[in-house]
Parts: sequence; structure tokens; C-alpha cells
Amino acid sequence: MVYAVPAVLLGLWEVCSRLAIVSPRYFPPPTQVAWVLVDRFADGDLGANTLVTVTRLAAAFALAAVPAVPLGLLMGIARPVREVVEPYIAFIFPVPKITLLPFLLIILGVGEAAFVLTAATSAFFQIVISTLAGVQTMDPRLLEVGRNYGAHGPRLFWKIILPAALPAIFTGLRLGLGLALVALVAVEFIAAKSGLGHLVYRHWQMLSTPEMYAAFALVGALGLGLTRGLRALQARLLAWQEDVGRL
Amino acid sequence: MTAPGRWVAEHWIAVGSPLVSLIAWEWASASGVLREAFFPRPSTMFVHLVQLSADGTLWAHTARSLVRIGWAFALAAVFGVGIGLAMGLWRRLRDGLDPVFAVIYPIPSVLFLPLVSFLVPPGEIALIVTTAVTSFFLVAFTTTHGVRQIDRLVVEAAVHYGARGPRLFASVLLPGALPFIFTGLRLGLGFALIVVVAVEIVSASTGLGALLWLSWQILKVEDMYATFFVIALLGAVLSYGLSALRAWLLPWVQDVAEP
Repeated sequence: MVYAVPAVLLGLWEVCSRLAIVSPRYFPPPTQVAWVLVDRFADGDLGANTLVTVTRLAAAFALAAVPAVPLGLLMGIARPVREVVEPYIAFIFPVPKITLLPFLLIILGVGEAAFVLTAATSAFFQIVISTLAGVQTMDPRLLEVGRNYGAHGPRLFWKIILPAALPAIFTGLRLGLGLALVALVAVEFIAAKSGLGHLVYRHWQMLSTPEMYAAFALVGALGLGLTRGLRALQARLLAWQEDVGRL
Repeated sequence: MTAPGRWVAEHWIAVGSPLVSLIAWEWASASGVLREAFFPRPSTMFVHLVQLSADGTLWAHTARSLVRIGWAFALAAVFGVGIGLAMGLWRRLRDGLDPVFAVIYPIPSVLFLPLVSFLVPPGEIALIVTTAVTSFFLVAFTTTHGVRQIDRLVVEAAVHYGARGPRLFASVLLPGALPFIFTGLRLGLGFALIVVVAVEIVSASTGLGALLWLSWQILKVEDMYATFFVIALLGAVLSYGLSALRAWLLPWVQDVAEP
């Protein structure tokens, strides 16, 4: 029942395209796209380029998450650190991260490092901000209880602050991964010579539309899979908490 | 002490840290610690910023980007709020469209450019429609959610007192969903800026994104920084300015997704 509307839409597209009501050159029938997807995934360029995008995404995510979580936590517990770092974050966070690409391209040269770093910065700021918010919005009563029972210093941090901030950190990681994918695909579309974003661009330029839609669908599936998967993981790992940033 | 004076006294680190960085950058570029070809001195950048805005280049490109953002935002707002309200009110529509939206939403909007350019005349219109895509989904999502989170009791009470049709809509449903709609609009406007820059990089010869990309291609590094500065400023105004506007217009509600 849930899939009735998508199925009807796809069916309509199929019929319109087959009967040439819409131009099959620009809007090839979905079955043809599906055939390309099946046919070209294993031995064609679709599978290989998906792997390229996933590898870049993993690298970007790791590069962002590893420094961002500790920085966010440190900003949350040490006010001087927050005061020093916050202006930069407030300045860069609303900037479209794709604008960093040309700077990274001249500094690092045209290549993987620049592509991956652009995607990483996109995730980095989101993760820092969510982590910081997690520490700042924790229930002060938790801190008081911890202190009253004699926890301070590292113990207070590991037993009270970190667990309290965990749901927000996880939300930050999930949002960050989504943002990294968006930035990465845009970077591939604009500047790279491989990856799913580049495939969409190349097949658009060559007007090989079935391949273009196939790559497009793979990006959608990747995005949907990551979002859904991480949400399920979050629900399972942090079962006692409601998601803090559902929107 | 005056209000601004007190603010500076409380936040002297936050004010001082960027200043120190700028001075350090100036010194590092001037003394060759940083390569001036890649990291020009802040003072040189400032001179370029002034030059670019004095000869009108910067203004022209900024105006083009702003017009595109404005049209895209208007499209996203009208269709997003309309469809969002409809999805919030009618369950069948929501059940039908939810899976479609869930698949399309995570796709980066710049990828829609090829598709949109098949559908509408390429050029300016395709740029604007592509820019509107992601913002539309954001506005529609938050509006739907805003209608759905309205307390059933409130709606029932209104119905019992005889409110129905347009009246129920205008005096209960719309105000109830307003905070969410506003958050959606704010996020949508932010996204419109992000996407317009990306789309201009790919396929425009005017606008801030195009200026940035062009400056890169001919390695006018100072112009790149100047353009970047304007884009960053625009981002800050759009995101913090709208937050302030919400606090002023809807003071009784918390922003539902404070950044």
C-alpha cells in the first residue's frame, strides 16, 4: 500500500515514454533504466564508480568525525576553548562548503585530497555543533547528582557528561554523514573524473540518459540507505533516548 | 558601562581570537611563512574586495545570485507550504507522497540540474528550479510535521465551538503550524544559497558561484577570497538574520531546530 503511489508514478512514466508522449530520449522508460542498472553494475562502470564514491565518503567522514567529536566535547566543558573557537565555526558553518573546493584545489592540487576534504569540512562543522549542543543542553541535575556522589574530573566526564551528550553526538554524526554525501556528489559532479556524481554529469553531457538515471538512482539509494540505516542503528544503540534532531 | 561595552568585556576572547588570527595571517604571508600566492595577506584581500565592489563587478554578481535565490525561495515556499499543509491534513496524500519524498530528498540538488534542464527551458529558469528543489522538500517536510504536531485537543475544541473549513484553517491549523513553517522556510533559504552557488559553478557565467569558479580558473586568488567573503557574509545574514526575525515575529516559540 505504501508503495502504491511510487509504483503508479513509475508505471505512468513507463507508458508515457513507450508511447512517446514524453520524449524517450530525455525520459527513457524506467524498465530500460533498471536494465542498465542490472547490466552495467557488475562489469560496467556503475559498480566501480559507486565504490569510488563510497570510499571517498568513508574517508571524508572519518576525517571529519575523529577531530570534530573531541573538539565539540572540549568546547562544551572548557569555556575558554569555546570562546576562542566559536567565532570561526559561526562564520564558516552557514557558508556553502562547495565554495571551499577551489581553495583546496589550488592549495592541494586537483585530486582526491581536495575532493575528500571539501566533503569532510561539510560534516565537520555539523558534528562539532551537535556535540557542543549535546553537552550544553544536558540536564544540570545530572551534573549535580554526579558531583554530590563525589564524581569530578575525568570520572565526571566519562560517567556523566559523555553519556548525556551521546544522543546528540550520534545525531551530529548522522547529519554529518548526510551532508558529506551531498557535498561529495556535488564535488564529483563539478570537478572529479570518477564517482557517481561525475557519472551523472558525464552521461548528461553525452545524453546517454538511461545511464544518467541509473547513476542518479544509485545516489538516491545510497542516501536513503545511509539515512535509514543510521537512524535504525541510533534507535538500537541509544534505545533509552529520543532522537534529538529528527528534522 | 554601555551595552556594547559590556558585551565586549564579556566576550573579549571571542572578539580577540579572530583579530589575532588575522594579524598572524598578515604577518605569516608577508614574511613568507605562508605562500602568498595561495594565502594572500588579509590587507591585500581587503583592497581587492574594495576594488571589486567599486567597479560594480561584485554587486552585479551578488545581485544575480540574490535574484535567483529569491525566485527559488518563492517557488519553494509557495509549493512547499501548500503541499505540506495538504499532506498534514490528508492522511492518504501523506501516505502516498511520503515514500516518493523519502527517496528524492537525500539526492543532492545539483544532480537535478540535468533532469530539470530536460523539463524546462535551460538557462535561467532551469537554474532557479534546480535551486528550489531541496528547499521545497525541506519546507514541505517541516510544514507537514507542523500540522501533525498540533494538539488534537485544540483542534477538537475549535471544532466543538463551530470552527470549520477556512476558519479552522486560518485560526487554528495555520497558527499552530507556523513555528515549524518558519523553521522550514529558514532552513530552505539557507539551502537555496548553498545550491545556487553549486549550480552557478556548474552552469552559469554570472552570479557569485560563477565568479568564484572563474577566479579559480584564471588563478585570481585575491578575487576568490573576496567572493568567498561575500558568500560567507550572505550565509551569515540569511541564517542568523532569519533566526532573529523569527524571535521577533514569533517570540512565544522556540525555534524547532536551532542550528
